[in-house]
Amino acid sequence: MDIKQRLKAVLQEAEIYRSQGLISEAQSKYKDAVNIVNSIEKLKNKESLIKAISDKIDALKTTKEKVEKGPTTPELSQKAQDLIKNLFAFSESTDQDSAALEGAVALAKFGQFDRALTELNGLLKKEKVRVEAAKNILQCHLASAGADEAINQYQQWYTGDLFHANQLEAVRTFLEEVLAKKGVEANLPSLLETIDPQLEEAVVEVQPQVEVEEEFLDITSIGITFDAGPRKGKMVEFDVNFQSGNMLSLIISKQENELIETLEERMELKDVQFFSPIAIFNGAGVVASKTKIKTGPKQGDYCVDIRIVST
Amino acid sequence: MAIFNLKKREIECKVVYYGPGRCGKTTNLEYIFGAYKKQVKGEMVSINTEGDRTLFFDFLPIGLGQIRGCDVRVQLYTVPGQVKYSSTRKLVLRGVDGIVFVADSLEVRREKNMLSLKDLQSNLKEYGKSIFKVPLVMQFNKRDLAEQGIPLMSVEQMQKDLNRQLQVPAFEGSAVKGDGVGVTLKECLKLTLQSLQREFKWAQ
Repeated sequence: MDIKQRLKAVLQEAEIYRSQGLISEAQSKYKDAVNIVNSIEKLKNKESLIKAISDKIDALKTTKEKVEKGPTTPELSQKAQDLIKNLFAFSESTDQDSAALEGAVALAKFGQFDRALTELNGLLKKEKVRVEAAKNILQCHLASAGADEAINQYQQWYTGDLFHANQLEAVRTFLEEVLAKKGVEANLPSLLETIDPQLEEAVVEVQPQVEVEEEFLDITSIGITFDAGPRKGKMVEFDVNFQSGNMLSLIISKQENELIETLEERMELKDVQFFSPIAIFNGAGVVASKTKIKTGPKQGDYCVDIRIVST
Repeated sequence: MAIFNLKKREIECKVVYYGPGRCGKTTNLEYIFGAYKKQVKGEMVSINTEGDRTLFFDFLPIGLGQIRGCDVRVQLYTVPGQVKYSSTRKLVLRGVDGIVFVADSLEVRREKNMLSLKDLQSNLKEYGKSIFKVPLVMQFNKRDLAEQGIPLMSVEQMQKDLNRQLQVPAFEGSAVKGDGVGVTLKECLKLTLQSLQREFKWAQ
């Protein structure tokens, strides 16, 4: 190919990459073009041509910087935030508070921390979801403002009277673990150390549950290999609709009669695969409860709670 | 995960367009939004950043009408292709029922295609799914650029690079012109609904 034709082809290729938003590829082609121009000895307007191409390379550099430095989590419109809540709150729970918690967590996962914090703070009033809301508030602070903000928040809760001792202990343990992973050592005060001795026994009783809760990752789904019933020897996968520590809630369609009948309360599940976003692990569980859903879109389906007993 | 309302005979499933940055995932959805007005059931939502790059996801709800006694609705999503948005890709992929992998035919994007497919496999694995089992269709996009003399990979090369082991249906496409967009989506929907039928026996 004639060298001028080759130059033309390379410039065209660079221009197409630029129009496609392929910045590095366009830059590379423009640089090839500069080299070609330099290799042509008797080219008219050589300097001005090189300058024109260099300007394009500079412009691409600016674009690249903008793309790389652009906000990773800009605050979205309320409409977009509502959409995120609707689309990414995966729980099909009919429980209003749990659903609200899922929505707020979805906002946090997409970096919409201001609104997530507003909603999570509102959920602190709800006993059932208070601890999970608190943990997510701390996660928001850690992601948006840093460790100090999270620690300050914990201190406020510690001096306040919103949390029961065991609830605050669960939050404290969680925060200390998260901070430790980030290399931050924090000796957070514990209500259990200052509690009225008369109450100590009662608190100590719930303490193991708190510790167990902290050991578990978020489980997205589980695979149960049945050792009895019509599906004996087969693994059946279930999505986890809600998780609280080591307790997983599954919704099983009323169409799945066999499964519902097989999963009896107190049944031991010896071969369970737990799928979490960061790891898959094997373990065992026990069917803690099985409840028929009486109202709502899942009416007639069953909510089965499975307690993880070993991993 | 697909949502079934057996009482109302409704099914809603999720299809995700995956692929490297700037491969044409959003362009696929934009074409569907413009060309299949009858099926489109709402606005297309795009959350973009600098240079029209997808930041979080694009979302487009469509309806397929009654299929074997069931009202079938589909939520179409794209993931952000840029490498740095890994956690968002994982979030969007959660609960996926079918996937369209959009590969860029440009020779210069060969490695990005392979890395993105590996990323898909890895993210699916973290949700306990196998890339070999999930309903998956490929689209080799930007075939129109050959007309402008831009170096493209041959379809054989792309099959060898990306589809040698998977052996999933693959279509040539030009999302900007709409070529191959419909057939890709249709095949993905077919595989997705067949898979859901095998799993849940939703059809009458």
